[in-house]
Amino acid sequence: MLAILRDLLKYNLEFRIGIILVGIVVGLAILSGFSPYPPGDVYVVPPDVPPSSAYWFGTTSRGQDVFWQVCVAIRNTLLFGITVAAISRVLSLVIGLLSGYKGGWIDRALMGVNDTFIVIPLFPILVLFYFVMRDSMTWLMLAMIMATLGWAYDARLIRAVAMSLKTREFSQTAVFSGMTTREILTREHLPYVMPIVFSTTMNNMNWSIGLEVTLSVLGFTDINTPTIGGMIYWANQHTAIVAGVWWWIAFPIAVVIMAFVGLFLLAVSMNEYIDPRSRLSRMGGGAR
Amino acid sequence: MSGPVALHTPTTPVAGAALASDPVLRVNDIQAHFRTQHFGVSREVRAVDGVTFDVRRNEIYGLAGESSSGKTTLIKTIAGAIKPPLQVVGGSVQFSFMPGYPGLHAAPAAEVERVRWRHLSYVMQGSMNVLNPMRRVISTFQDFAWRHLGGSRKQFEERVVAHLARVRLDPAVLRAYPHELSGGMRQRVTIALATICKPDFIIADEPTTALDVIVQKDVLGMIRSIQQEMGSSVLFVTHDMGVHAHLTDRLGIMYGGRLVEEAPTPEIFSRPLHPYTVYLIGSLPRIGDDTPRKSLEGSPPNLADPPTGCRFHPRCPLAMEVCARQVPPMVESLPGHRVACHAVNPGAAA
Repeated sequence: MLAILRDLLKYNLEFRIGIILVGIVVGLAILSGFSPYPPGDVYVVPPDVPPSSAYWFGTTSRGQDVFWQVCVAIRNTLLFGITVAAISRVLSLVIGLLSGYKGGWIDRALMGVNDTFIVIPLFPILVLFYFVMRDSMTWLMLAMIMATLGWAYDARLIRAVAMSLKTREFSQTAVFSGMTTREILTREHLPYVMPIVFSTTMNNMNWSIGLEVTLSVLGFTDINTPTIGGMIYWANQHTAIVAGVWWWIAFPIAVVIMAFVGLFLLAVSMNEYIDPRSRLSRMGGGAR
Repeated sequence: MSGPVALHTPTTPVAGAALASDPVLRVNDIQAHFRTQHFGVSREVRAVDGVTFDVRRNEIYGLAGESSSGKTTLIKTIAGAIKPPLQVVGGSVQFSFMPGYPGLHAAPAAEVERVRWRHLSYVMQGSMNVLNPMRRVISTFQDFAWRHLGGSRKQFEERVVAHLARVRLDPAVLRAYPHELSGGMRQRVTIALATICKPDFIIADEPTTALDVIVQKDVLGMIRSIQQEMGSSVLFVTHDMGVHAHLTDRLGIMYGGRLVEEAPTPEIFSRPLHPYTVYLIGSLPRIGDDTPRKSLEGSPPNLADPPTGCRFHPRCPLAMEVCARQVPPMVESLPGHRVACHAVNPGAAA
C-alpha cells in the first residue's frame, strides 16, 4: 500500500496536486481545534475588518474572525461528507454484493428499490424534508437522509461486478468447499470491489458536500452550525458583496473549491491506478 | 486432441488390485435434463440421459467424449451442483461415504456440508482461475480447507506446507498472489487445494486443458502419485484421448448424453468395439503412419431433439433398421468391456 502511494506521488501529477489540495483543506479542519473563540459566538472581534496581519482572512459583519470560521466550517462540511460517504458505502456494498451474488427474486426486489432511488428527484425531496422537520433537522439528520438517498448508483455498479464474480471458478469452488454466502461475500468478493469503492467514495463526498452547500446557501439546513454553505448564507443575509465585505464570501468558496478539486483529482488518479486501460490511453496506446 | 501428447501405445500402469474392490461411486441410470420455459414455449435438452457406471476404490476412471456429449453435465450432477434450468429427472448417484442418499442433489444440506471437500473434492474446468486473484494463496487454503481439517492456525499451516511438498512446491508460494505464479505452479496449487483433506473421491474436470504438454505431463504424473499415495478414486474428464491413454485405468466414452462404451483404457485403445469409438481411436495420430485420417460425416446430435433409438445411428456406417427403433442396451460383450450397440451385440435388445 505504501509503495503504491509512493509510486502515485512520483509518477502521477493529478495525485500529487490532489493530495496537496486535500492536505491543505484537512490541515485547516484540524486547526479548528485551536480556535481562540467558540465558533457560535458573535461580536468577539471588530466587525468588517479587511484581511490583515491581525485577521488573515478579515472579519465578518457579525464580528467573527473569517479564518477561524472557515476552519470550523470546512471541518463540519468534511465530516458531513465523510459521514454520508461512509453510511452510503455500507448500504451500496451490502445491497450491491448481495443483489449481484444472490440473483433471482432478491435481486429483483433490491433493484426495484434501487431504481426507485435513482429516479427520485433529490433536491425537492431534501427541501421537503427540511420543511417537515424544521428544528429537528440537525446536520447528522441531514447526513443520514442524504446517505439513504445516495447509495443507489454505486450499488448498481457493485452489483454488476458481483454478477461477474459469481460466475468465476473461485466463487464456485468456494461454494463447493462449504463457505456460507456471508463468508463468500466478505472474504472472496469484498477485496475485489474495494478499489472501486475507494474511487466512488471521493465522488460521493463531492456530491454530498455540493448538495449540502446548496441547501445551506438557501437556508434549508441548521443555520446555527457553521458550515461552508452556512457561512455563505450569513454573508448573503448581511449583503456582504454589496457592502464590500468580499472576503466573507471569497475565502469559504476558495476552500470548498480546493476540497472539490482535490477530491476529484484523487478519484481520477485512483481510477487510473485501478484501471490499466486509462494508463494505456494516457501513453497513447490501447485500442483505437 | 492436443497433438503430440497422444500416445500411440497405451502405457498406463494397470491397477490390478483395483479391479477386485468395491465401488466408491455407483451411478445408476442417471438422467439430468435442462428444462426451460420462455413465453409459453417449453424446451427440454436431455444432456445426460440414462448413464450407468461404477468407479472403484483406488482407480482413475476417465470420461471421454466430444463437446456437447454431456460430460460436464454428468459430473455436475455427480457433484450435486444442480442449478436451474438443470434438473435431475431420474436415477441415482450413490457414494460409499454417504450411504442412504440417492445423490448429493437429494441429500440434506448438513450431509452435503459434511461430505464436500472432506470426502468429495472437485478440480474445476479452467482451474487456473480457482484462486482468487485478490487473495494470497494461504488465504485461499484457509477459506476452503481449514473448516474441514480443524486445528490451530499453526497446525493447519504446517499441514499445508507438508502437503505442498508433495506437489513439489516451495512454502514461499503461500505468501504469493496467484498472478505471481506460473500456470504450472497455479495448477499444482489447485491440485494441492483439492487433495489436502485426503478426499475419497476427486472429480477432475479438464484440469490440464489449458497447459502445454510438458507441464501437462508433469501435472498428470502428480495426480497419479497423489492418488496412489492417498488411495483416492478419481473421475477424470477430458476430451483429450492422449491424456486418457496416459493416466486413466478405465475409460467410458460418451456420445449424445449416453455412455456408449466402457472398458479398461488399454483395451479401448487396442480393441474398440463401438463404431463411434472405432472412429475416435482411428482419428488419433500414430507415429510412422502417414495415411490420411478419415473424419466422421455429420455432426453431434441436437440433444433438444435427439435421434430415436441409438443416437449415433444417423452417422453410423453399421446402422441397421433396428438402430432407429430401439435404444441399444449396455451389454458386457467381453469381460470388463461394456458396449451399447446393436451391431456388436446382436440379439441383446430384449
